[in-house]
Amino acid sequence: MTNFLRKYRPFVSAGIEEAIVYRANFLLFALGNTLGAFVTYFLWKAVFQSSTNSSLNGFTFPEMVLYIFLSFFTGILTSSDGSSSVGDEVKDGSIAMRILKPISFTANYFYEEIGSKLIDVGVLAVPLFGGILIYQIVGKGTPVLNLVNLLLYFFSATVAYLINFYFNICFSFTAFFFRNLWGSNVLKNALVIFMSGSLVPLAFFPPVLQNVLKVLPFSSLLYTPVMLYLGKYSAEQTISVLLLQIFWLIFFIFLAKIIWHFAIKHLSIQGG
Amino acid sequence: MRRVLHLEKIFISQYLKQTMEYKADFIVGVLGVLLNQVLNLIFLQVIFSQVPKLAGWSLQQIVFIYGFALIPKGLDHLFFDNLWIVGQKLVRKGEFDKYLTRPINPLFHVLVETFQVDAFGELLVGVILLVMSSATVHWTLLKVILFIVSIPFATAIYTALKIGTSAAAFWMKKSNTITYLFYMFNDFAKYPVSIFNHLIRWIISFIIPFAFTAFYPASYFLTGKNVLFNLGGLVVISIVFLFIAIKIWNKGISSYESAGS
Repeated sequence: MTNFLRKYRPFVSAGIEEAIVYRANFLLFALGNTLGAFVTYFLWKAVFQSSTNSSLNGFTFPEMVLYIFLSFFTGILTSSDGSSSVGDEVKDGSIAMRILKPISFTANYFYEEIGSKLIDVGVLAVPLFGGILIYQIVGKGTPVLNLVNLLLYFFSATVAYLINFYFNICFSFTAFFFRNLWGSNVLKNALVIFMSGSLVPLAFFPPVLQNVLKVLPFSSLLYTPVMLYLGKYSAEQTISVLLLQIFWLIFFIFLAKIIWHFAIKHLSIQGG
Repeated sequence: MRRVLHLEKIFISQYLKQTMEYKADFIVGVLGVLLNQVLNLIFLQVIFSQVPKLAGWSLQQIVFIYGFALIPKGLDHLFFDNLWIVGQKLVRKGEFDKYLTRPINPLFHVLVETFQVDAFGELLVGVILLVMSSATVHWTLLKVILFIVSIPFATAIYTALKIGTSAAAFWMKKSNTITYLFYMFNDFAKYPVSIFNHLIRWIISFIIPFAFTAFYPASYFLTGKNVLFNLGGLVVISIVFLFIAIKIWNKGISSYESAGS
């Protein structure tokens, strides 16, 4: 038994080391991205200090702080990496291996992503979401922690992740036509960040633009769960935004099926 | 010097050929980079629709600082982006060997090898913003000269931080996340330092001195004040950081062990 342990212990510690290195990298990346949220925080702080009003477009400063960090956390929670990996796999041809397997292409990606996402979110939830909760409990003038809103948030964020997953799968099929996906990814990300409300709460836009953006699928990705958490919606509004989310989810599931049907005929595998 | 320029030209044309292989994607990407900047400006516009002045600065002035920030960032991105790859995979996969076997300085070779054309998005927006907001600056001949001189020094701060942090890969095999963490501090440089708390102000001034790549020099051009700190500081900081970065790099190269197969 001791012999057995001595023989295999190096493998275990190598595995642990590898996992730690990988997570350390992930944490450093996440920390780098958090800096952006802090820049936004200081900007809004200066805005609220320069302004004579204590609330801007319905947001008090503590609500804005929650919005900034919660939308950052929600962005990580609902992020989906499918489109860039499909692009890479089309580029180096390894996508052929996925298509040859007797399982659904989409499901293959989904389960792969769920695995790493559980760990990533688990690692980040403690410092980030914990920080948000502590701020809400300790901070002055913050909205009261509400269990119903919390549950609505997690439900809505889960639907948001699924919408994002299928949206990215639809989008990734453009790699079959464009080959390389770097450019279209840059363009897509810029638009999504803006239209989902992660840059500025949609309530700060002119009313016409606001109404358009609220109906488009992008607000379902981020704005809806965050606003539900903040308790900004009445019961009626809550039901309608949740129904809208579910509508977009079904829409993208079907769209993914249809595009896949056409895209698969267009695919040309490139060399290694 | 002529040899250096000649080599740079060859490397750039090689790189362009590579990029042009995926032409449609590339054009879409440049549009994306442009759009990203435009959306950030809309963000500023939204902020200024709430207040006339932010910590004492007008929208025009902030636009000038923002535009100034994009020039050194874009130049570094355009010419020296290959440094990311050192920490990402060149060392880890043992591909760094090729730089050591060539008859040119390895650091120079790494620096000139790629030419990141998508940086034109940043540079273009930067120039447009500077032109749009240049009326807020009381230009004199001296200021124009100082402006031109300050750009390469500001760019050197970006490059120095990337050289120093990517050199960490020579010991750690992989260091691109460290470079990323340092690099992300550039977000703070685009706004007046007075909106940040003391700790962050101190970090972006002297530890990861991105404030010298944008806010400090830009505030001299806007107000004409504190030339010694705003521009003198820029020159001193960028020389010191570049010197330290090259020291780290050289030390790293001497302890580089080839990895992989």
